[in-house]
Amino acid sequence: MSLIYDPPQDCKLVGAVRAIHGVSDSITIIHARPGCHCGMLLLKALGSNQNDVRVISSGFRAQDTVYGAEGRLSAAIQHSQEYFEPGLIAALNCSAPVIMGDDIDGVASVMEEGIPAALMTLATGGYEGPAWVGYEEALVKFTDYMIPVERPSANKVNLIGIKTDDVNAAGDLTEIRRILKDHGIEINTVLADASFDEIKSAPDASLNVVLGGDGLECAKVMRERFGIPYITTPYPFGVKKTTEFIEKVTNGLGREIEIELIDREVELVREGVERVCMFLQGLYDMPVAVIGESGRAFDLAEFLSDELGLNVKVLAISGKNYLTPDRLEDGNGHFGNVLIEPDRFEMNDLIKRAGVSAIFGSTFEKHLSSELKAPLIRVSYPVIDEVRITDSPYAGFRGTLHLCETIINAVITQNIEEIEE
Amino acid sequence: MAENGSSFLTSFVKMYGTLPLHGITAIPGKISGALMLTDAIEDAVPLIHGPVGCAFQRKVNPFKPHSPFHTTPCTNLNDTDVVYGGEEKLEQGIRETYERYHPNLIMVITTCPSDLIGDDVEAVTREVSSEVGCDVVYSTGDFVGRSKPVGYQDAFYAITDQMLCNGTGNGDPERNEGSVNIVTFPIHGAGIKVAEMASVLGDMEIGVNKVCFDHTRVEDLYELPKADLNITDYPMEWAKLMDERSDVGCYEILGWGRYSEEKDPELLSPYGISGSSRVFMEIAEMMGKDGEAEEVIERRRRDAEERLSKARKDLKGVKIAAIGGLHGVGLNLFKDAGVDVSVLICRTQIMESRLTEEAIKEIVDMNLNLAEICGFDPEALVNPTIEEEIKAIKRSETDLVIAPSTSAHLYNREGVRTFDPTSFVIHHQRVGFECPIELCQMLKGALRTPERRTPLLSMLKHDSQMHGLTPHWAKLSRAFNLLRADTIGDRVDVDADIDRAERGPDK
Repeated sequence: MSLIYDPPQDCKLVGAVRAIHGVSDSITIIHARPGCHCGMLLLKALGSNQNDVRVISSGFRAQDTVYGAEGRLSAAIQHSQEYFEPGLIAALNCSAPVIMGDDIDGVASVMEEGIPAALMTLATGGYEGPAWVGYEEALVKFTDYMIPVERPSANKVNLIGIKTDDVNAAGDLTEIRRILKDHGIEINTVLADASFDEIKSAPDASLNVVLGGDGLECAKVMRERFGIPYITTPYPFGVKKTTEFIEKVTNGLGREIEIELIDREVELVREGVERVCMFLQGLYDMPVAVIGESGRAFDLAEFLSDELGLNVKVLAISGKNYLTPDRLEDGNGHFGNVLIEPDRFEMNDLIKRAGVSAIFGSTFEKHLSSELKAPLIRVSYPVIDEVRITDSPYAGFRGTLHLCETIINAVITQNIEEIEE
Repeated sequence: MAENGSSFLTSFVKMYGTLPLHGITAIPGKISGALMLTDAIEDAVPLIHGPVGCAFQRKVNPFKPHSPFHTTPCTNLNDTDVVYGGEEKLEQGIRETYERYHPNLIMVITTCPSDLIGDDVEAVTREVSSEVGCDVVYSTGDFVGRSKPVGYQDAFYAITDQMLCNGTGNGDPERNEGSVNIVTFPIHGAGIKVAEMASVLGDMEIGVNKVCFDHTRVEDLYELPKADLNITDYPMEWAKLMDERSDVGCYEILGWGRYSEEKDPELLSPYGISGSSRVFMEIAEMMGKDGEAEEVIERRRRDAEERLSKARKDLKGVKIAAIGGLHGVGLNLFKDAGVDVSVLICRTQIMESRLTEEAIKEIVDMNLNLAEICGFDPEALVNPTIEEEIKAIKRSETDLVIAPSTSAHLYNREGVRTFDPTSFVIHHQRVGFECPIELCQMLKGALRTPERRTPLLSMLKHDSQMHGLTPHWAKLSRAFNLLRADTIGDRVDVDADIDRAERGPDK
């Protein structure tokens, strides 16, 4: 195994920002040299919420490595409050100040009395772990601000594991809300796609629903602190996984799934499938590669294989979560060659040798897809070369048809030069 | 490329050109600059000596967001390495990088963790480089002081220092007498932008040794010290080093250093007929070819002016509202195009947290002086609101506003046509006599555009001072500039800044 690593995943900082940025009235201060701030800002600005980028720099400079930059951080906290009046200010301590020993907890503690916003700190040195660990730790940190409820509302659940910058996250959430609402279930708080007040009132729910395993640690802490049970569900890609999702949630609340509702939804999917049946027949057995984070990629791969009949040759998990080992066990042959957090060079090599005709991945697979002249279907983080401003989901029943549509179009709209022999 | 100078690439680049980065809301770190240089050398590969984030997040290229860096291997430093050091990993990493990619150059780029833990990157690099079949160079960001962009300057300096002119004979190759290198910032199409310059120099019997970066390979870099002169856009530390060690002179197209001594605003205006003539003559003088140059410049100039007189025919009497500053379309070019600059808009808000009031005043005065030299008598507006601008534009019966696409809609909805300076500057503005002719064609194109009274972008609120930004982004910008500068009081004046750029490394 090589020592050098061209990573398919980011560092702890990015995972933490992805969680915190989901709090709609938060400001994240990147306490780091300018590159980390610029990188984060770009990842956000190149996405689909360009006027909702809430990441600022503490202004850390080279000379601060000698004397420390705690003063800069306190100025950044002060200005964040004045400029943005947020509910939550999160200061993330990155590699340089962590090594220098900047006491960001001390800064927050000194300042919290004079700052109306809640102050949250997190160590996110790049060498301290991968992105998914940062995401988990940030969600766990949120539990510090949650207010216990004596008698939580029945039929209210929290969704855990949503990342607002995932492809179609907003549409997926709308679809999940709709499906649950049809079953009389209300979403209390989405972790993390909520205001800070909503985060605080997360304990007012009867069940935590962990999507795809992301945020499992937060669910465990909430069970411990607030007595809220949790279930893990698949990310609802396709009919089978969506049905399984609803079954698990309803059962978790001690209720039965409403079969008639499901049948009605499935019928709508059937009608859509019928409209493009010949292209779907054409797609059958097409060799593909799937690259994505554990929370979504396993379920996507299974949908592609089990429901669309695609031949998933390679499944590369770019970022793990605590459920990844379990997911590996239950693939039933749908995942092909599975790579966990592989080196990009080795992953590309394997995909090239696998002879795939389409790639399901992120913007960073663009180069590979060009080399292979295979369409790239952007389903995984980060997508910085495609935008979504409508609410068409990939998840749920409606998402099933949208995924079909996207895949068929990606194949049949290939440019002539890309399909020339 | 089409007649109006547009192509898919220009549109594609423009899609990302509206991101308010580079000193407005963020500054790319040194890794991005070093990656940009490495990426511009076809047979070079970077090796990032740091943790995964420094390799993954930096794939997003802040200089060309549409074009990520695809290959960014790293040494994957973890917390144990931060305690015990990462030198062994680096050593092995260099070997593996060679075995895996077979490059001709490995650029080791250090990161915050490897810098702070004190890994002796120089020693490791020196030791391993003899074991691999390619050059190995390291860049820490410390070689070039505050010369911007630091990562780019530093990596190029490292190549010159450790590879091209390292005292082992590389820096004293057989000379390509009477030739120059033309080296531009490796962003968009250097080859196209310098083609005319190369042709004019050829007529003056000045050879072009190398053009960088245009499919540049390591072997091309080794040829750089053969030339007599390096021509660069801006002051470049590597060029000064090559001058010192290998006696290759350097000429900067934008004469920042000379401006600080002579205060002649034309030194910062190298474009258009007169600016280009001056630049060509100065290069010729440095190359001892002034005799030949006079005739060539005269001939080329006459030929261009003949065509220019036709091209600018329909532009007579056209009034333009131009934007002042240190960047943007040169006022010389408007003079060549035969238009009148009726309004001159100077925006200083972004500079306010970084420059002193005197420095800002000097920049404003410099633009007004240049306007006067060009024969314009514009109404000058400093940090106007959009309403004030529109009033002045209507009062002066201005036909066209030079406005980037971030704010064009604000004028369009008032029935005023606009011309996008960003695409022009990136893809067309260059030293040479053809550029004003292209500008004429493009201005005429802009004057022919239909009135756009109802752009969707007008539905958005905009900041009253920074028109191109929404109020939210304006806040991000203000916070960024305030936090980066104010807390340590590092405002600079223009001269000091220019001096520093000239003086080089702030060791």
